[in-house]
Amino acid sequence: MNTAVGTLAPATSRKATAAGTPWTAWACTVASVSIAVGLYWDISWHMSIGRDTFWTPAHLLIQFGGLMTAMICGWTIFGATFRPGSQLRQNSVSIFGFRGPLGAFIAAWGGLAMVTSAPFDDWWHNAYGLDVKILSPPHVLLAIGIAGIVWGGLILTVAEMNRAEGARRIYLQRMMLLLGGFALLHSMVPRLEYTSRTFLHSASAYASLGIGVLLVLEAGARATGHRWARTIIAGIYSLFVLLMLWILPLFPATPKLGPVYQPITHMVPLPFPIMLIVPAFLLDLMWPRLNHFSRWQQSIIAGAVFMAVLIAVEWPTATFLNSPAARNWFFAPNNFPYFAQPDSPNVRYIFRQTETVAQFWSGMTVAFVSSMISLWIGIVFGEWLRRVKR
Amino acid sequence: MTLAAKSDGSHALRIAGVSFAHPIKLLVFTLVLSFPLASWAHVNSPDVYFDGYAGKYHLLVTITPPPVVPGIAEIQIRCATADVQQIKVLPLKMVGVAAELAPTPDVAERSQSDPHVFHGKLWIMTRGSWKIQIQAEGAKGAGELFVPLPAVSTYSGKMHAALGALLAVLGFVLVAGIVGIVGAAAREASLPSGHEPAAEERRRGYRREAIAVVLVLAAIVLGDRWWRADAATNARLNYKVPHLTAELRRGSLLDLRLANPNVSEVDRYGVVSADKLVLNDLVPDHGHLMHLFLVRMPDMQSFWHLHPRQTSEGNFAVDLPALAAGHYQIFADIVHHTGFPETQVGEIDLPALSGSALSGDDAGDPDLAPSATVSQLRNGDRMVWEHDSSPIKANVPVWFRFRVEDKDGRPATGMENYMGIAGHAAFISTDGKVFAHVHPAGSVSMAAEMMAEGAQHDMSAMQTAPPGPEVTFPYGFPHAGDYRIFVQIKRAGKIETASFSAHVN
Repeated sequence: MNTAVGTLAPATSRKATAAGTPWTAWACTVASVSIAVGLYWDISWHMSIGRDTFWTPAHLLIQFGGLMTAMICGWTIFGATFRPGSQLRQNSVSIFGFRGPLGAFIAAWGGLAMVTSAPFDDWWHNAYGLDVKILSPPHVLLAIGIAGIVWGGLILTVAEMNRAEGARRIYLQRMMLLLGGFALLHSMVPRLEYTSRTFLHSASAYASLGIGVLLVLEAGARATGHRWARTIIAGIYSLFVLLMLWILPLFPATPKLGPVYQPITHMVPLPFPIMLIVPAFLLDLMWPRLNHFSRWQQSIIAGAVFMAVLIAVEWPTATFLNSPAARNWFFAPNNFPYFAQPDSPNVRYIFRQTETVAQFWSGMTVAFVSSMISLWIGIVFGEWLRRVKR
Repeated sequence: MTLAAKSDGSHALRIAGVSFAHPIKLLVFTLVLSFPLASWAHVNSPDVYFDGYAGKYHLLVTITPPPVVPGIAEIQIRCATADVQQIKVLPLKMVGVAAELAPTPDVAERSQSDPHVFHGKLWIMTRGSWKIQIQAEGAKGAGELFVPLPAVSTYSGKMHAALGALLAVLGFVLVAGIVGIVGAAAREASLPSGHEPAAEERRRGYRREAIAVVLVLAAIVLGDRWWRADAATNARLNYKVPHLTAELRRGSLLDLRLANPNVSEVDRYGVVSADKLVLNDLVPDHGHLMHLFLVRMPDMQSFWHLHPRQTSEGNFAVDLPALAAGHYQIFADIVHHTGFPETQVGEIDLPALSGSALSGDDAGDPDLAPSATVSQLRNGDRMVWEHDSSPIKANVPVWFRFRVEDKDGRPATGMENYMGIAGHAAFISTDGKVFAHVHPAGSVSMAAEMMAEGAQHDMSAMQTAPPGPEVTFPYGFPHAGDYRIFVQIKRAGKIETASFSAHVN
């Protein structure tokens, strides 16, 4: 199985050019990057300034990404539906009489979900208060909408890639890896609340990482067929978070909301990236040896290895991040949001001890089992992605 | 400052000839009134009115707290003089380290229609006791003023039918869309260019669509449960007016047992909010831990302002004076150590009591006939409510001005401070559902005001210059109806109570 893995030699890749790359793939990539930057900037905004409006630059970037994807999808669906003889129609699916690429429908659906979440969220604020919790039904609908935009763009591109050959295919494969990296970035946003530094000696952090991370990594690997896809995707995530970690503090900011527990002079970045790149690299390294196993066997072995290595790496990394040696611009654990209370574990550089022994081990069990299940779903989904041509 | 009749007939506070009423304020009031009212410092009268000085600038502040916290409060500041150039507003927690580390203040916007008026928004992000810092700058230099603001959620949202219908339609389209996408993905996404799906592929599409329907319905059910759980949590955290229990013991001794129905926010780490309401943290306001108001209903002619002593945590007792039998409404004002004020409500049927003689700051009258403008006092003086015949409108802040005259109709002399200030007023609706205890400085608790200014809690030592014959109270009725205004002043060592009736349109 997975015969595509390792078939693209580096020498061939070097000849890849942008020639013939559909503009839709470019636009989807730009939209995905725009939404990712907007999301991370927006979270930083809430940690540094606190108060926002519809028109903050971070919000505009997210809206730009959504709007751009919606326009692309509207255009392609319009073209495929009303131009019967077109190539676009030949490569389209049919939904309720409309025709268009599957990815376009998914992204359009994501755009509608985002639009729906807006009045819902506004009502939620009026009924229950301004963003009482990050995870609320309207926010989840918004997150699903953004996921629809991101994955719709990715599926639009993968269909192009699967129909392409030669250098064009390789170029689209690279774009797919980039989109995979940003899909992982987006998927990490809901986990932020559970994977902050103080939680990294708790099972809940690893349970949240077990649910879904391998799905994205494996789907990206299968869809692109690249030998080092998991490493590259995790690398894009790590590089992006590091860049945000280093760039955002260069901009001045002061809180506009109280209570203010921390004096803020600059934008507070999101924390150091989770060390996904290490187990991702290990999986890339060992995968050729797993080719003869069944899907379930691959899932159990690789899922367990991934989680074990992740814990083995992240645990001491978190210890280091809590130490005085890490308090520099590179690791930057000493950037606290304005609302971090002085006695909070974050500010005191300690780990939260909220789990009982039983909760810890049951959480770890969830982490390993969900990691295996996520990997299995990633394999199935990734193989389906490789077949998508419309 | 004067009370003036507006062209539309309403009473409006005027400072230096400038009207206090404003259409935006009316709009805000109207919006607030569209929510079920509750309150904390008062009962069903949530707005804060405050009269004070920021340096040399005389300001009248009106704050409409948000019905839901976190939320945005509206603040209106009227300047008595035209020399204020800029006003900045800043909400701060009343106590704790957050009270010291301030966010960037907001510049209030000067009204285009009235240059004496500034408007601003206050982002109130947690429930509890807040203070609003107001910084004024102008020709006379800079000055600062603090206004206490208790902030709680009082409202559980109900969705408007039109919005519900819109979301239902969008939700249906989303559900249909995701089912259609799943079907198309299974049916034809993998087909080569130009190929039509075969029968088996169509069947596979239908099967997947059926599975998608089940999964989406399951997601909707789970989402609905989540929503209901969040709504229940919100309802649990909404502020509930505490209802005390009153019992008559040993003749005229009234026992009061306070209630504490409001639970505190506990974050996901188990940390309880610093603003948790408890009953062992009460601080004196005007030298008393409790200000108890007893009003016989429905005639409201027997009115008492007493000061029970605390017997144990949450328990108070007071010796009642001689009073007539009847059904009495109880309003008990207390202030927590954070400056958060509460009014506990209750009621009791009392027999005729011979009672004890009034002492200290206790005062009242067993037979107070209400008057529209002139109230005869027990000592032979009279109190005149200075207002014209134009109707009073709900939601319009009004400066209530009262003048004490001696037997000969001359402005009374020898006026004294009553518990440190020129007078106390209680605004009570005739149905007993609205209650506000107001001072010349406004509707805030004096203990909270002192706390906001950074002074000691105990107001017993508060001394001001002897007041004149006039006493004024800034206040706005929250809604239309009939009200009674009880005004208490002190002259020649005796506390006098006057009663006025008011009809609010």
